[in-house]
Amino acid sequence: MTRLEERFGDPYNADNPFGHRTILDADERSTVAEGAEAVLDEFGLNAEFVPEALGGRLVEVDELVRRLRPVFRRDASLGLGYGVTSLMAGLNVWLGGSDVQRKWLADLLLGGGKASVGYHELDRGNDLTNNEFAATRTEDGLVLDGRKEVINNAARADAAVLFARTGGKGGGRDHSLLLVDLHQLDGGTFRRLPRYRTLGLRGVGLSGFEFTGCAVPDSALVGDLGQGSDIALRSFQVSRCVMAGTGLGILDAGLFGVLRFALERRLYGQTVAELPHARATLAGAYADLLTADALVTTATRALHVLPATASAYAAATKLLVPTLLEEAMNALSVVLGARFYLREGDYAGFGKHMRDLPPLGIGHAGGISCQLTLLPQLSRLLRALGDPAPAAVFTAGAALPELDLSRLRLFAPSGDPLLAELAAHGTHPGIAAALAKLTADVAALPARDTGVAASPAALDLTDRYAALLAAASVTGYARHNAVPDGWAELALSRLAERLTPSAALPATHPAAEGALFADLLDRATTGSGFCLDRDPVHRTLAQ
Amino acid sequence: MTSTDTTTSTSTTVPADIAQWLAGRVASYLDTDAATIDLDLPLAEYGLDSVYALSLCGDIEDTLGLVVEPTLAWDYPTVNAMAEFLQAEIA
Repeated sequence: MTRLEERFGDPYNADNPFGHRTILDADERSTVAEGAEAVLDEFGLNAEFVPEALGGRLVEVDELVRRLRPVFRRDASLGLGYGVTSLMAGLNVWLGGSDVQRKWLADLLLGGGKASVGYHELDRGNDLTNNEFAATRTEDGLVLDGRKEVINNAARADAAVLFARTGGKGGGRDHSLLLVDLHQLDGGTFRRLPRYRTLGLRGVGLSGFEFTGCAVPDSALVGDLGQGSDIALRSFQVSRCVMAGTGLGILDAGLFGVLRFALERRLYGQTVAELPHARATLAGAYADLLTADALVTTATRALHVLPATASAYAAATKLLVPTLLEEAMNALSVVLGARFYLREGDYAGFGKHMRDLPPLGIGHAGGISCQLTLLPQLSRLLRALGDPAPAAVFTAGAALPELDLSRLRLFAPSGDPLLAELAAHGTHPGIAAALAKLTADVAALPARDTGVAASPAALDLTDRYAALLAAASVTGYARHNAVPDGWAELALSRLAERLTPSAALPATHPAAEGALFADLLDRATTGSGFCLDRDPVHRTLAQ
Repeated sequence: MTSTDTTTSTSTTVPADIAQWLAGRVASYLDTDAATIDLDLPLAEYGLDSVYALSLCGDIEDTLGLVVEPTLAWDYPTVNAMAEFLQAEIA
């Protein structure tokens, strides 16, 4: 069992200071459980965000996602609020910063400091190229004007990476990234904004920054002037995968909670878990959790193995995974019945997990923004089949090449190596048909329909691409690793139904569902997590 | 800042006049005639956004056998500037 899993203990133990009750009480007060951040400090969670070459523990991105899971299983506010945004800020500096900047930020994070990442302005959303926060060049530095809003940790961060307008020519060279030491700024020209109240992730301290003619030295520039979009679009590829991956812990915890309830609660003379509908819902949610994990695992490993196509995989992952997870939580809420709506009692944690999921989908890069990354690339990705992806993309634990952020590209070359997996190794007939249909539809898509003015039908192509990537991830992962019986069959059938909804009721797979439910139960009783790596967890069923 | 990789593509026939060829591609995105494209006017002035930069990258890879990033359109914003850069890469 990992140290964090051990330290945070069983959420259902009423005496556990990091149990559900404490976490929910804290959430009601818009904070996190007392002492929980100290546990992460003691563990040195920030080191996970710092590359090994700079003294941290960041080597493989899929391992990073797994190491964050114990935190997100308990409280997404704790994980995000403590510092996943320090990673988002850091990636820009690891990629584009000078040696001095890299060492300074690495040391700051390793010493327990926090970095905020300032892209967002409320009036601009994901429309980064129209951001208004500006840095104006002067003789002896830069002068900052404007606001960054709904920024994690803005009230307490030591450093910030800010995305600033530095030009007005139009095109992609109008923005630059700045790394700023917030303690060095003049209090008369810089202030931290009040906190925003939110529906979910209530324990996260979201606020903002306001600059009014605030001077910073030239050395704040990350990379060259005008290189902001370039650096940001590469570092997003890593952070999109990680953000999507954090959601796996939430569904894992939600699924355990509902299973626990279904085994405990008796209705009509039997437990809820014995009712066919409840059992099928639990098995379906478990299948979708594993599918989401397969896509996250493949996309994070592709950052190392297939960096040229990673921009498409990261966008597809950030598009589909939050949707899969939210739909699974919605389906599970039906099994929980009225308890799903209560903010107290043993199962109130489920409602909190459900509130915390949507902001993970919206946050960082919303679905539409991911769709717009994918849409102009589809015709090239689907034009021809590339060479099938190497086994290392799918094989858990196989050695990965070093993460080289400079090899990530903004535009994937022809021929998708992951989709080639579907062609090379056969697949569900519904998946094969959907791939053929998508290929034909994309070939007929005019270039003018691939931008922000794209039609809903054009955007739908990106949803179908993401579902096909998930199918390829399931197929590849199942070929190279031991997986639960019935999963691949059920997962592909559910993805095929998503790709081409049938008028009739979806086909049932009683044998596959039965096998998956048995595996789910086995994991729940033996203290194993519900993700692909079957990691040991601390949580108990009702006695 | 912009970099390219040369790919060996057997099926490509490099157009003799790269600037004219680029103007033709740009005109096709705009649904207009290549003759109306001013080779020294920044493409952004025609309302060509980052999405077209991606389409252009695809066309360049297919026709010239050069793998380029969309940053090409940022660093060489006019048809003539881009053509000059691409000509040097091919040579």
